Parts: sequence; structure tokens; C-alpha cells
Amino acid sequence: MRGYPVRRLGFAVVQAAVVLVASFGLTALLPGDAASVVLNDQATPEQIAIARHQLGLDQPLPDRFGHWLAGLCSGDLGRSLVTGAPVADELGRRLAATALLAGLTVVLLVPLALLTGLVSGLREGSRADRVLTAVTVVLHAVPEFVLGLVLLALFAVHTGLLPATAAGMRGPDLLSRPEVLVLPVTVLVARQLCDLARQVRIGVAEQTGGEVAEHLRLLGLRERTVVLRHVLPGAVAPAVQQLARAVEGLLTGAVIVESLFAVTGLGTGFVEAVQNRDIPQVQGYVLVFAGVVVLGNLAADLVAHRLTPGRERVAW
Amino acid sequence: MARTGFTRRRLLAGALGAAALAPLAACGGAGSGAPNRLRVAFAAGGSKETLDPALVSLFVDQARSKALFDTLVAYAADTSLRPRLAESWESDATGSRWRIRLRQASFHDGRQVTADDVLYSLRRVADPALASSSRQYFAKVDFGASKAVSPTELVLVLTAPDFEFPAGLGAPGTEIVPAGTTSFTAPVGSGPFRFVSFTPGGPALFRKWDSYWEGAPELAELEFVPVDNETARVNALLSGQVDYAHDLAAGTAARLASESEVWLLEAGLTTMQGMALRLSQPPFTDPRLVSAVLSGVDREALNKVALAGRGELGNDLFGKGLRGYAADIPQRARDVDRARALVREAGAEGLAFAVETSDVDPCFATAATLISQQLKEIGLTATPNTRAASTYFTETRTKGVAALTRTATLPVATFLNQRFRTGGSNNVTGFASAEFDALMDRAAATGDETARLGLLGQAQRIVHDRGGLLAWGFSTWTIAASKRVSGLVTAPPNTFDWARFDRVRLS
Repeated sequence: MRGYPVRRLGFAVVQAAVVLVASFGLTALLPGDAASVVLNDQATPEQIAIARHQLGLDQPLPDRFGHWLAGLCSGDLGRSLVTGAPVADELGRRLAATALLAGLTVVLLVPLALLTGLVSGLREGSRADRVLTAVTVVLHAVPEFVLGLVLLALFAVHTGLLPATAAGMRGPDLLSRPEVLVLPVTVLVARQLCDLARQVRIGVAEQTGGEVAEHLRLLGLRERTVVLRHVLPGAVAPAVQQLARAVEGLLTGAVIVESLFAVTGLGTGFVEAVQNRDIPQVQGYVLVFAGVVVLGNLAADLVAHRLTPGRERVAW
Repeated sequence: MARTGFTRRRLLAGALGAAALAPLAACGGAGSGAPNRLRVAFAAGGSKETLDPALVSLFVDQARSKALFDTLVAYAADTSLRPRLAESWESDATGSRWRIRLRQASFHDGRQVTADDVLYSLRRVADPALASSSRQYFAKVDFGASKAVSPTELVLVLTAPDFEFPAGLGAPGTEIVPAGTTSFTAPVGSGPFRFVSFTPGGPALFRKWDSYWEGAPELAELEFVPVDNETARVNALLSGQVDYAHDLAAGTAARLASESEVWLLEAGLTTMQGMALRLSQPPFTDPRLVSAVLSGVDREALNKVALAGRGELGNDLFGKGLRGYAADIPQRARDVDRARALVREAGAEGLAFAVETSDVDPCFATAATLISQQLKEIGLTATPNTRAASTYFTETRTKGVAALTRTATLPVATFLNQRFRTGGSNNVTGFASAEFDALMDRAAATGDETARLGLLGQAQRIVHDRGGLLAWGFSTWTIAASKRVSGLVTAPPNTFDWARFDRVRLS
């Protein structure tokens, strides 16, 4: 029993390492570097060469990666090539907004998906099932930016019921003005609801029609007990893994949603860092993203393993 | 029986869900901030932003500088000069000693703006270590010989005559800061607004400066709000979160034209759109191929498609509508037969090269595709090569043989010096002509304005024929503002009335 968690953890570490090496290499492969971004387009090639030297960009790539890695091991994420400020500062500033968005989304997403999946799965093929399926599939099929624009047009621009953007607000400001979060969170929830609800629905349908449930019913257990004690736990196991994948979706969705609603979060910051060729800053973001994804999947697999031992191979 | 329990659960969960959402929905409504605070939305530069006026690179930086600081002179819409902190400026007969008199003005800390502050600021901009993009304007200044004559008067000594020198005193990035300033985290300027707060990549809040020399602004506060996404900027404006949205695409402008709550400020002829051919590298070392490209391109079609018909036709010259523009040079038209003959003569039929492009400007992608189709008709195979926006202009200084380019409003003489002088700071085409350089030198040393503009005209004739610049059009700059705002003037970026908020009122 202990073997699986250890092996799974080892795999997670390897995954994270591969992502970090790849992101370092890929950012370095992009045309142009931070020196040419920091200086304006009037700068002479000599000025760029000086800046490149000052930023250490003239050192071989493996050396630069080595420095960065050494810093990371001592808890230092390095400094931004563009601003010279510690990478961790910028991450911290932006983390609040994205964590708030993603956290609220998960808090709303989980009960909503469980409820939808349960309603659909218990009454498979019913009118309620068909309506819920149709609605969630349609919401899933609409890209974030389209749904965002439609909601903006309906609720912000024409009716003025909700603010259109979080322009000019930092993470903590968002908490004091929660109304700005309604539309972005709605978009994120709508996009992720389908997969998770479908997963719950399949599990519920499988379990409720299965022999075990039938047996329990024959034993005279109330339907409520059958659903709560047997059907739901059995259906939740695969859904937990789907939830981990939904978190990945939230991070990519954040890039679009943050841009559309002008939220100063990790998504827009990541895009900015790549545009600036600011490798230490990019690595900082990758570390956070990879960490969330890898740890999320790790936790999901371990929970799923615990809920249904013997299905570990399916996890990866 | 089974359904009863289920229904109850659904009801319960539904009620819980509704209860969770209710407080969020209840506090809806767009906040418009403090009374008499103008909120303006610009695309921003993220965490690398600074309030150091000498290091401005983006429009938002320039607009903030304009609120906090003053330049010595400023550009009118046609780039002719208007006095600002400098009340007057005059040169000796040779154009190499400039005497500048300052008006009575004070910084936000109450100190007078003096000649020493001016010398400090200009010296700072000219310092190579600062790498200011405005450094080129002061390359000729001998700071050792320049001096303050009195607190309100200074003399700038140049190493060579230059009657166009005052134009540099109005360029973005030459704002006057108090002598000795090295930190710009809470800057002190002499502009119409005082610094209150700013985070790089975040909002900037400024308050009106009651002792502004031109009279205190009408607004109590001015807030710059960064909104990078254009759609988000428009939505923020339409929903009343901001009152001013800078830089909108042509399509958006057309859509907003029917909105009754919004003013559109459309400044025509603001940005030259073109393609620079690298004359120093094959194949464009052959002047026949340069002529072939210039004759082979359909400028009308480019304007109609790439600028959605909202731009103006270009004549392979910068500065249409500006002071000094050679409007008498006949418009170059498309001549496919001539172009094809030139290509054949150069033995270059089927020659393949890349047209460098990027999404740094919304019209670049369409223009590159169109140019490549048009050049196919004259026997050249030009393939668009899309580069990253953030490093595009730096990269295309050294890479590629044909690159889409654009230039915003600046004085014609400045443009000619940067782009076409042998070894000029932005001479991307590699154009080198002793005749052109001599004409520019003569123009710089000519005090009489009409004669000087005549010489600039001759210089433009040379680059029109051989400069390697295909300037096919001029795009329009669009800003939208809510009808609550009055006192805004339509003007191209880089000129004084653009993003000027000290005469704005909110109703």
C-alpha cells in the first residue's frame, strides 16, 4: 500500500523537473532577449551588447540554468531581468487575484458539478438529464472569450448591472469589491462544469444501476442511504481526478479571462514575462503553474487510490 | 419513494447555491470612483514601467509624463513649436549658440524651475549610460561650454550649427526635472498634476497642482488605469468604469460611431505605415529592384484593405501634413509593366525574399499578405515572416531585407536625420548618400526658415527616389471618451494636445 504513494511522488518530482528544464530552454529559444526588450528600439547594437553582459545573457545557457537552479535550491527565485526586482515579489503581488478567482471557481464548481451529475446520473435519460447535458455541453463548447464577451454585453455594457473590468485593482481590492469577480468566475465555472458533471453523471449512473446498489436496495436500505453511502463515493473517485484536470483548465482559462476583464493576475503576468523574455520571471510562473498542476494531480491520484484501491494503473 | 429524498436534496442544494451567489449579485453596479476624478485607460507596460520621463517608451508613459512634468517647448499638431517652460529661444547668427529664457514656474515642492534644473535634465537625457531614446537630440550639445546665465536664462552651445535644434526640446523624454533628481518613485515635476501613487503595471493616481503656471487643472484627480486588452478598454468605457480609452482599432471606431454616450477623437495622418528595404544587402543593393518594388505595390488597395479605408495615401515619404513635408513631389502610382520590366532587367524573376511582419500593429498582417500578392504580379516571391511583437523593432534593425515599419508623428527633419543620414540612429535601410548628408548639413546651418524647408524638400526628393522606404499610407489614431468629458482636443500622439488632461472638465 505504501509503494504507490512513494512511486507517484517520485513521478511528480520528475514531471516538475522536466517542465522547468523545458520552459527554460524554450524561452531561451524565442527570438530576441530581455536586453533588446529592456532597451527601446533606438538603442544601438553596442548598448544592447552592454545590457546583455550586465544581465548575464552572454553566459552559456547551461550555466545560466545552473545558477538559477542553485538559487532555487536555497529558496531564491532570482531577480527579474527587466525590473531587477525579486521574482517572488511579482509572483506574490499577482498570486492573490488568480488564487481568488480559481478558489472561488472551485468552491462553486464542486457542489454545482456534484449536483448536476447526481441529478443527471440518477435519472439517466430523463428530461432533466437531457436539459442539463445540453446546457453544460453548450457552455463547454463556447470558448472563454466568447462567453465572456456575451456576458459582458448583457450584464455590464448594456445594463450596467455588473462592472465590466477589474481595471486598476490589485488582489486585495478585489475582495472589497466582490462584484467585479462575478462575471470572470461565471465564465470559468461554465467552462469547467461540463467535464466534471459528466464524470459524476457516468459514475452515478454506473453505480446506481450496478449489482451492489441493487443488492443494497434488496436488503431494504433506503434509497437515500444507498445514494449517499454507495453511489456517491463510487462516482466521486474518477471525478476527483477530473477536478485536478479542471484546475489545469482554470490556469489556462485565467490567461484569457484575466486579459478580458483586466485582472492583474498570474495569467496576464505570465504572458508579459514571456513577451519580455524575462527568463527568471517566466521560470517563477512555470514553477507555480507546474507546482499546482503536479501537486493537484498527485493529490487527486492519491485520493482516488484511497477511494478505489486497485485502480492505480489508470491514474497514470 | 426514491425520488422524494432526491428532490429534497436538490431543493436544499439549490437554495444553498442561490444563497452563495446572492451577496455577490447584490452589490452590483459599476463604481465611478471619487467625484471629479478622470479615469483614463491605456495599454500599459507591465512591471517594467517607470515614471522617469527620460525613459518613456510607451504612450502611457508619455501621457503620465505630460501630467507630471513640462517640456521646454511642445509640438503643435503639425510639429511646429509652441513655448512651454521656455518662454523664448533664439540662436546667434550661426545657429550654434542657443539662448533660452524660462517662464516663472514652480515644481510641486514649491521650488522655482531654474536654468540649472534645465541643464541638469538635458545633461541627464544626453548621458549614454541612461540610454534614453531622446539622447540623439542632444548629441551636438557641448555641455562643458553650456551654462546658466541667470536663474531664468541659459545658453546651450552646440558643436555644429543646427537651426532645427529647438525641435529636440519638445521631444517626448526631454521633460524638465529638479536638479539632482535620481529617483522617480515619487517624482516631483512642474506639470499640471502632482504625484500621489503609482505601482509599475498598476494604476497611477495624480492630484491637481494648484500653482501650475498655466492655471490649475479643472479636474481634482487624474487616474491612469492599465487595460491592455482593447476589448476590455472599450467595455470599461462603455460601462462607465473609465471615461477615456486610448488607442482603438479601426473596426472598433466604426462600431462606436453609433454610440450616443461616446466621443470619438480620430486624428488623421498620425502614423506612417511602410516597408523598409535593406539597401545594404542583396537583393536590394540593386536599385532596379528597389524601384520595381516601389512601382509594383498598389497603395490604394493597401489603404482600402489594411487600413479599412480610414487612412490616407502615402507617397513614400514621412510626414504628410507636417511642417516641412515635400507636398510638391508627385504621387507615385502603381506601374506593373515598368516594375516587371525592371525585375526582368535585373535578372531577378522569381526572386524570393521574406517580408518581416508582426502583430505589433493591427494593420501589419494584412499589409504583408497584400504586398506579397501584389509583388507576385511583378515576378517577385515575397513571403510574410511573422516575428514576435515585443522584440520586432529591435530585431528588424539587423535582420531581414524587407520589414514592415511604422513611425508616429515627429518633426520631418528629425525623421530624415534618424532614418537616412549615413550611420543615423535609426537608419535601418542602410541608406548612405553624401549628397543627402550635405543637404541636411546645409539645412541645419540655414537660419532662414523658408530656405531651410526648401533644402529639406530637396533632401526628401533624394530619399523618395533612392531611400528604400515604401510609405504606402498613414493611419488614423483613435481615442474614445465618454460624453461626460469635455475639453479634449483631437491630436496625434507625440504632439502636445494628445493626452492632455489639464484643460478637461467632467460633468
